[in-house]
Amino acid sequence: MSEYSVVGQKLPRVDAVEKVTGAAQYGADVHPAGMLYGKIVRSKHAHANILSIDTSEAEKLPGVRAIITQDDVPSGRRVFATDKVLYLGEPLAAVAATDPDIAEEAAELIKIEYEVLPVVQDVIESIKSSAPRLHGDATKDGPNRRDISAKIKKLADQVDSNSDEIRKLETELEKHTDEVYYNISAESHTEAGDVEKGFAESDVVVEDTYFIPRVHQTYMEPHVSVASADSSGKITVWASTQGPFAIRSGIAGTLGIPLTQINVIGTTMGGGFGGRFGVIITHVPAVLLSQKSGRPVRVQMTREEEFLDGRPAPGCVIKLKTGATKDGHILARQALAFWDSGSVSGASIGSTIRVRGVYKIPNIKVDAYGVHTNKSGTAAYRAPGAPQAIFAGESQLDDIAEQIGMDPVKFRLMNMREEGDAVPAGGSEPKVGYKETLEAVADAAGWWDREADENQGWGVAVGDWTNGCGPGGVYVSVHEDGSARIFHGSMDITGTDTAITQIIAEILTIPYENVTIRRGDTDSAPYSTGSGGSVVTFTMGNTAKLAAEDARRRILELASERLNTNEDNLELRDGAVHVITADPPKSISLGELAAYSLSTTGGPIVGKGSFARQPSTPALAAQIAKVEVDPDTGRTRVLKLVASQDVGFAINPMAVEGQIEGGTVQGYAWAMMEEMQYGENGNINPGFVDYRVPTSADLPTVESVIVEVPAPNGPYGAKGVGEPPITPTLATMANAVNDAIGVRITELPIKPEKIVDALKNNGHEA
Amino acid sequence: MARSTTSFGLQATPKHPVSLTVNGDEHDLLIEPRKTLLAVLRDTIGLTGTKEGCSTGDCGACTVIVDGKAVTSCMVLGVTASGKEITTIEGLASDGELHPIQQAFIDTGGYQCGFCTPGFIMASKALVDENPDRTEEEFRHALGGNICRCTGYTKILEAVLQAAEEIRTIS
Repeated sequence: MSEYSVVGQKLPRVDAVEKVTGAAQYGADVHPAGMLYGKIVRSKHAHANILSIDTSEAEKLPGVRAIITQDDVPSGRRVFATDKVLYLGEPLAAVAATDPDIAEEAAELIKIEYEVLPVVQDVIESIKSSAPRLHGDATKDGPNRRDISAKIKKLADQVDSNSDEIRKLETELEKHTDEVYYNISAESHTEAGDVEKGFAESDVVVEDTYFIPRVHQTYMEPHVSVASADSSGKITVWASTQGPFAIRSGIAGTLGIPLTQINVIGTTMGGGFGGRFGVIITHVPAVLLSQKSGRPVRVQMTREEEFLDGRPAPGCVIKLKTGATKDGHILARQALAFWDSGSVSGASIGSTIRVRGVYKIPNIKVDAYGVHTNKSGTAAYRAPGAPQAIFAGESQLDDIAEQIGMDPVKFRLMNMREEGDAVPAGGSEPKVGYKETLEAVADAAGWWDREADENQGWGVAVGDWTNGCGPGGVYVSVHEDGSARIFHGSMDITGTDTAITQIIAEILTIPYENVTIRRGDTDSAPYSTGSGGSVVTFTMGNTAKLAAEDARRRILELASERLNTNEDNLELRDGAVHVITADPPKSISLGELAAYSLSTTGGPIVGKGSFARQPSTPALAAQIAKVEVDPDTGRTRVLKLVASQDVGFAINPMAVEGQIEGGTVQGYAWAMMEEMQYGENGNINPGFVDYRVPTSADLPTVESVIVEVPAPNGPYGAKGVGEPPITPTLATMANAVNDAIGVRITELPIKPEKIVDALKNNGHEA
Repeated sequence: MARSTTSFGLQATPKHPVSLTVNGDEHDLLIEPRKTLLAVLRDTIGLTGTKEGCSTGDCGACTVIVDGKAVTSCMVLGVTASGKEITTIEGLASDGELHPIQQAFIDTGGYQCGFCTPGFIMASKALVDENPDRTEEEFRHALGGNICRCTGYTKILEAVLQAAEEIRTIS
């Protein structure tokens, strides 16, 4: 029996009825009177100089009300390309018209003259000196050159620059000419211990290169924005976004408009997964078109535009080397990674360090580079960077386990960090259910007595992630009928409003049904962090707790006045304040207290919570898959998929299971089917026929297992839940396929043709 | 770049008279032949519960029921739906009571962001009306035309099976 009555319960979500009746209002459902339809004019080439943009024909089309280019951006901040485009679909102009089809016709009538330039789409090609340069001539040294140059620099301070020692180092430097990388957007380097020593002491060393493709978040609702600029200059934006406050400051910064002139109304969000924070994708063009036309304007992307100009997850190439002793101790790990950041910087290169996983690895070295290519920029996607790095790390662990003849689960359990172990970043490891979570999935899946027929196999992997934290504010009011109303400003991300409501009902001891929640816009609501990085339940849950506790303080104060007794004698229980020692029992309901409060000096019951940060605790996701591979067709069928996760505390277990199931299936899809493909002129699969995402026909039931090792600072011990489940699945699938047919696939997705080719190389005859 | 699919590259032409029955209400409209049934429902009639997820008939978010059959309304021209009986997500609940499929999606947590949900519920309704005795495996394949990105489908299947069971019991 739980000590709680509302939190920890599988309750229906607060937005249930509006979501199943079509009443929920998403971005494209907003239609102010007089609204125009916007359309963005996009580059037809992946890399080209722009010679001219001619809008004259489009202007003549009846129904066209505004056309804008970069000349219409008074701040000068880049919204549209002017002299050069860097990817297929890059915005060049935008049109607003009275009808969406007219806007599209007008967009086609805008004449753009291009001078086509050579294109580079592959990171390994892009770092070569032969590659076309996207942004000037920025080069970076690779790890060996970095080391040697650093030694030369250090020596140069002490000895003559012509010394033998320096000349020797310079000769050595010349041996690494191929280690100068071109088109580099960013770099990140981490080192602990001595990897060379670690590899030398290892009995087994495995080295491989892993290729992870760029994938799209493919939230079901394409980007959309409705903007209305009135004659006083006040701007209202209905935005489909994970972070209305970030959009407000983004618009203000881009267009040089004061914050107070902008109100962002977050509309119900049709999925985000990290990809719905962009400011200039639709919001800024909508504002500019509305300012120019004097009418409200909706800019809504098609699915094709999403693939061309969304901000997907970066692909990457990771060269990884691991050394271990024959009795199973991992001694060293080294990674060199190139992340495809597209036309701008910003790929999650820092996540390369996640090749460390949750293991005690005394010697580690990671060198990571972001590389420009002729593609759109990237953004977060559910634990940004972790699935890629963990795919490499967990695939290689299985190869080592195989070489030393150790069970993959036991090998992982043996190397996992424990409470009190030193943490590389400083401090010591908190209590985390690493082993509990892996043991739970092994037990639930039947790992210890697993059976497999021919061409069947089992795979296991784990992935870790730690939720973020951010500022938030919550108000809670108690009304004369005993109900409570929550007011806040964070976007609901698949159930967070429900978790906040459960927390407040728990503390105020009133039925869940008597608590309602309302989200304000940026003009009315207290500031709130964006709904990404698994922050919302942690941050807003803590904020909600503070607000409810503040309301309870006022409730007890009022009851003390009303019941004429000291607060120490009072207890809030079942929606009423009771005098503990009274015989016969004496109590007053929350409704009566709320009514009484209206005529007191202190006033109505309004609790306020305000919170920004507390240290978070890591979470682990562990998964096991059983697959069957058809060696003739290469098709892989999933027979079993079990996912466990240390969630700290499940405030709503139904919602938590939903996160685990959904994240696991997204990971499955990245492993087996998803891949944005690029040809000479950019993305070639911008639609659901050629970019395959899974349907219900592709998968069995995902079995989820909740493990609860409380996080000290989480509300009721809760940790971030949304991101961890995608992190291990890529490796889980690759390990299962390897176990089934003895083929290690290091290049995702594991498409049937790759399996057939690999088997052919192993001598299998189809 | 391929031409966007929303207007099928059709030029503006004179409007045609069209009569639709939507959720029991008759609508006599004048619409351009290039407008899809989805555009007519959302932009002309103002029923925005039906969603546009891909405009190419691949994701199922725009599924409505036309004369008893589930169709992706982005793939149907409005003029060709004249004279037909159309049910959208807004027409499913009656007398303030949710349809058993809607209730099942709530009970099982069969939705998250909710954007694909109207399409899934309408596709499920057509399937359950046609034959509520399908097995889980059969429902899994029959719902393969609808994409959900949040749930991983486990709880959607639970919802559909629960609703099918209830409908079998009632009828």
